Amino acid sequence: MKYFDEAAPRRASRAQQNLLTASLTALGIVVAGLEPAAAQTAFTLPAPPFDLPVLPSPSGSWTATVGIGGEYRPDFQGSKNWMLIPIPIFSIRRAGSTAQFRGPRDSGGIALIDFGNLRVGPAAKFVAARNSKDHSELRGLGDVKAAFELGGFAEYYAVDWLRLRGELRQGIGGHQGAVADVSADFIVPLIDRLTISAGPRFTWKSTKAVAPYFGVDAVHSLASGLPVFEAKGSAYSVGLGGQVSYRINPQWQVRAYVEYEKLLGDAADSPLVKLRGSSNQTTVGLGASYSFDFKVR
Amino acid sequence: MRNVILCVGFAAFIALGDVAAFETRATRLQAITTVGVVSALGDEMSVTRAGLTPLNTPGQSVSIRSWGLDELVVQQATALLNGRFRVQPVSYPRDAFAAIGESAVTPVNLIRGDPFKALVRTDVSPKGLDAYVVISRAKSKLGTGRNVQGIGFMEYRTLLASYGLIHTLYEVRLIDGKTFDVIEKRAASPLGNIEIMRLQGPSQLVDAAFDGPAAIETLRAAIVDLITRSLPLTLGDMHLANTQ
Repeated sequence: MKYFDEAAPRRASRAQQNLLTASLTALGIVVAGLEPAAAQTAFTLPAPPFDLPVLPSPSGSWTATVGIGGEYRPDFQGSKNWMLIPIPIFSIRRAGSTAQFRGPRDSGGIALIDFGNLRVGPAAKFVAARNSKDHSELRGLGDVKAAFELGGFAEYYAVDWLRLRGELRQGIGGHQGAVADVSADFIVPLIDRLTISAGPRFTWKSTKAVAPYFGVDAVHSLASGLPVFEAKGSAYSVGLGGQVSYRINPQWQVRAYVEYEKLLGDAADSPLVKLRGSSNQTTVGLGASYSFDFKVR
Repeated sequence: MRNVILCVGFAAFIALGDVAAFETRATRLQAITTVGVVSALGDEMSVTRAGLTPLNTPGQSVSIRSWGLDELVVQQATALLNGRFRVQPVSYPRDAFAAIGESAVTPVNLIRGDPFKALVRTDVSPKGLDAYVVISRAKSKLGTGRNVQGIGFMEYRTLLASYGLIHTLYEVRLIDGKTFDVIEKRAASPLGNIEIMRLQGPSQLVDAAFDGPAAIETLRAAIVDLITRSLPLTLGDMHLANTQ
């Protein structure tokens, strides 16, 4: 029980931090006071009339989270204009299930191998279709269908505050190329309710993943007025990302993030980007969610 | 028309078959009269440092066998189950039950089945009870690459403050005494949603009251309190005790 032995000297060193801590905590208390914390379950549902034999019984405590967020991001890859996209937040999980740290650019995934500090599993990402009629900069260029990128991820926590993550995905649909993402996140909890994180990002894409979005063939060149350009795979982008997560009280949480990406290689050299877009890609997101517990008898 | 009738008939057959299958758990529960209780959570307490920790911060554990928590759990569970079942004392190798852990590879757990079944079949006596209630350590994530399990104390360090948290993470299995199938498995839930830092089971923030010479006794009392408050809820959720 070394904690008890070390507690006294640590208290002394903490004294200088007390003012800021107290301020942040007071902020939390003030905001929490606006919405009385529901200490117990919000409601109780009756027991289901039957159980599914292969599934765990649903009876017990559950936590539901509902919320709304918005993301302000480039219209399309390489665009210099932004658009606002609403993002609904909804999840139901067993009470107490802690949310794994998640970066804004992470694909959805399930850890099939989970040693705690090392997690490995399948990953999937959806890439929206690009319709040339939706944006004047794309006039004359072909549409690109929506794509699913399927693959895997591995993430490793060297320590609690440093996450290294890699993803490798293969496109299906709008593009059939390979995409690799590598990122690092330094996760710094300021107090228990306030966490900031930031870190570098790098993305590589194969020719088949880049060409549909950044290549200009002879037909599209004539239609769009852009010079013919053969986009090849290479380092796609480097960037930086950061996010702030603040838990106002056990129910309310707000989160904000910024992701900056500098396009590289043929993506940056594409006439679509050079003449009509920008190699600087920034995404800003903000969201608020409310969690409540309910019980199934 | 004939195809439609066949389809409707097939759907009705499936539905009726499913209803029969859906009743399995409740039916099996109703058939249980005698129960034995096995508890294997309380011999060690983990001491974990999380959050802003230096590199190579290993977890530690201390023996708390002398606290007699498993005996307490058996005693409390017996009292709660006695309202509905006839609870009989059983003997079992506690260390063997405590040593069981899940594989980090999820598919392995699915393929090999529940390891507690085999242990109950071979190492618990007397045999022949209708069911066995097995209470063992459970695991919880912290969200940043660290798992904690069982009974423990965690110090969560942030840039501006440190927080102490005690936890009693356990799960309850109801194992059929004849087939040794797991009828139901349930992890104990958190006690309310009032904490900013939550684990996947009973936990509680601790403060300066845990400093000083009486800290160990205060800590034991707090752990016992978590067990005492959570066990009725967990057994109630499993419909094993009438505590609602």
